[in-house]
Amino acid sequence: MKKISLITALAFLSLLPLLTIAQSQQAAVKITGEVATPLTINNEDLQKFNQTTVVRKDRDGKDHTYSGVPVADLLQKAGVTMGPELKGENLTKYLLVDASDGYQVTFALAELDKSYTDRVIILANQVDGKPLLPADGPFRIIVQDEKKPARCIKQVVSFKIAFAK
Amino acid sequence: MLIERYKLKLNRYTSLSKVGVLAFLFSLTIGLSAWTYYEDPIPTGSFQLVYPANFGNRINVPADNPTTKQGVYLGRLLFYETALSAGNKLSCSSCHRQEKAFTDGKALSEGVDHVLSTRNSMSLANLLWTRKFFWDGRAASLEEQAATPLSNPHEMGQSLTISAQKLSRIQSYPALFKLVYGDTLINGDRIVKAIAQFERTLISANSRYDQYLRNAYQPNELEQKGMALFNQFPQPEKGIRGANCAHCHGGAKTYMELFHNNGLDSIPKDEGIETLTGLPADRGRFKVPTLRNIALTAPYMHDGRFKTMEEVIDHYSDHIKQSASLSSFLQGESNEIGGTSLKLLPEEKKELIAFLNMLTDSTFISNPAFSNPRLRIASNK
Repeated sequence: MKKISLITALAFLSLLPLLTIAQSQQAAVKITGEVATPLTINNEDLQKFNQTTVVRKDRDGKDHTYSGVPVADLLQKAGVTMGPELKGENLTKYLLVDASDGYQVTFALAELDKSYTDRVIILANQVDGKPLLPADGPFRIIVQDEKKPARCIKQVVSFKIAFAK
Repeated sequence: MLIERYKLKLNRYTSLSKVGVLAFLFSLTIGLSAWTYYEDPIPTGSFQLVYPANFGNRINVPADNPTTKQGVYLGRLLFYETALSAGNKLSCSSCHRQEKAFTDGKALSEGVDHVLSTRNSMSLANLLWTRKFFWDGRAASLEEQAATPLSNPHEMGQSLTISAQKLSRIQSYPALFKLVYGDTLINGDRIVKAIAQFERTLISANSRYDQYLRNAYQPNELEQKGMALFNQFPQPEKGIRGANCAHCHGGAKTYMELFHNNGLDSIPKDEGIETLTGLPADRGRFKVPTLRNIALTAPYMHDGRFKTMEEVIDHYSDHIKQSASLSSFLQGESNEIGGTSLKLLPEEKKELIAFLNMLTDSTFISNPAFSNPRLRIASNK
């Protein structure tokens, strides 16, 4: 018995360096461009924001509950011109979302701002109470009520705010 | 009679001075024709990049390297210049041959030190729209990309500094660099900029698929069925069959700048983008390459493991390997309910091949503007 626990302990110890390597790289979302403060948001950071949920159908045709943070809140934190500042030339700004597979989609800032719309667009990190699958996450945009899922971009790695030129 | 006339003629031309005049005129004619050939004035001015409207204008030309006619002229010479390699045997064109849509037909390519490259030589076409270069997308411009194969010890194996020194000693180059950059300085930056300018002109837009998109070609039945499969994602529960290729290879350019794990291995030898990011989700993830001229660019995949288009289609149809980093669109994508790969029928595979053959642009691979300029001179001698 002792021998077995010793072997287990040794096996665990030998795995430790691997675990630390695995933890050294962590997925995160970078927020850059027309911002006051560039931010990098990881899973832990995301917990510090007010959480919200959006229910939408996935490809299986069933409703799923996604939880995360409204994109507008993340942009506000980075000092993007949201809320009262979203007027005039700031209405020509857009958010470009990049995924790790190279896929990109854009949203006009006004699409994200609750003074313009009740539709919520979140950066989700969980589906039905569980972390997103590696091929979908760890971060995914979920657009409430949008008919096509094409802007529910998976594996999000960056937000860039820019002026339309 | 004849002989007499001949003698008379001969007598007339025996005067030395007249022979001299003739010889002079003869050599002048030959000399001038050769001069006009070799010394064709090099075109100068802004280079008009011409392409169809459906390719879109999201092009990638760095502000500090605008495309000029003289820059493209120099870049083309450099693309075919063996002095840019250690040992003077390889040029960019050694692994990027025009007749193979600028690939080399090999799984991996041999460098100056006879060591094989780690990944398959990529096709060069429509790079004007590319923003991330290499199989792992690590270079953000053609300029940055070009520097790597030039100096990699297992490719052309020569530092840009030495390349610049060697070019400085070749008679025609200092004047050409002056024409392009304003002075005779030759350095690595200027070398890669000129090569990048030439590569941006490698536009392929005249395949039968392009012709079909501009209503100038009517696909046959096999091609039409193949095209439908190519564009359709499978929905077995509705009885809709598809191969969903367009999910990643869609649009007029058949290139969308995506990076995926396409299920080649459960545990990949080459970890792809994970090597750069350290993220397990990037394991085995590589660029989804253009399908333009795909029939000419065998073997396929980042390691050239598939010799034919049939093997590639068999992979997606029957051999997708599951792993945590397998791209989501390939998970459970099938023409059979509950299937884990496409499960195409033999005739559907033939239809897809017929469509893929529509993507061959024969005018691109025979365009004299992209060929080795020195060979052209040699064949005209």
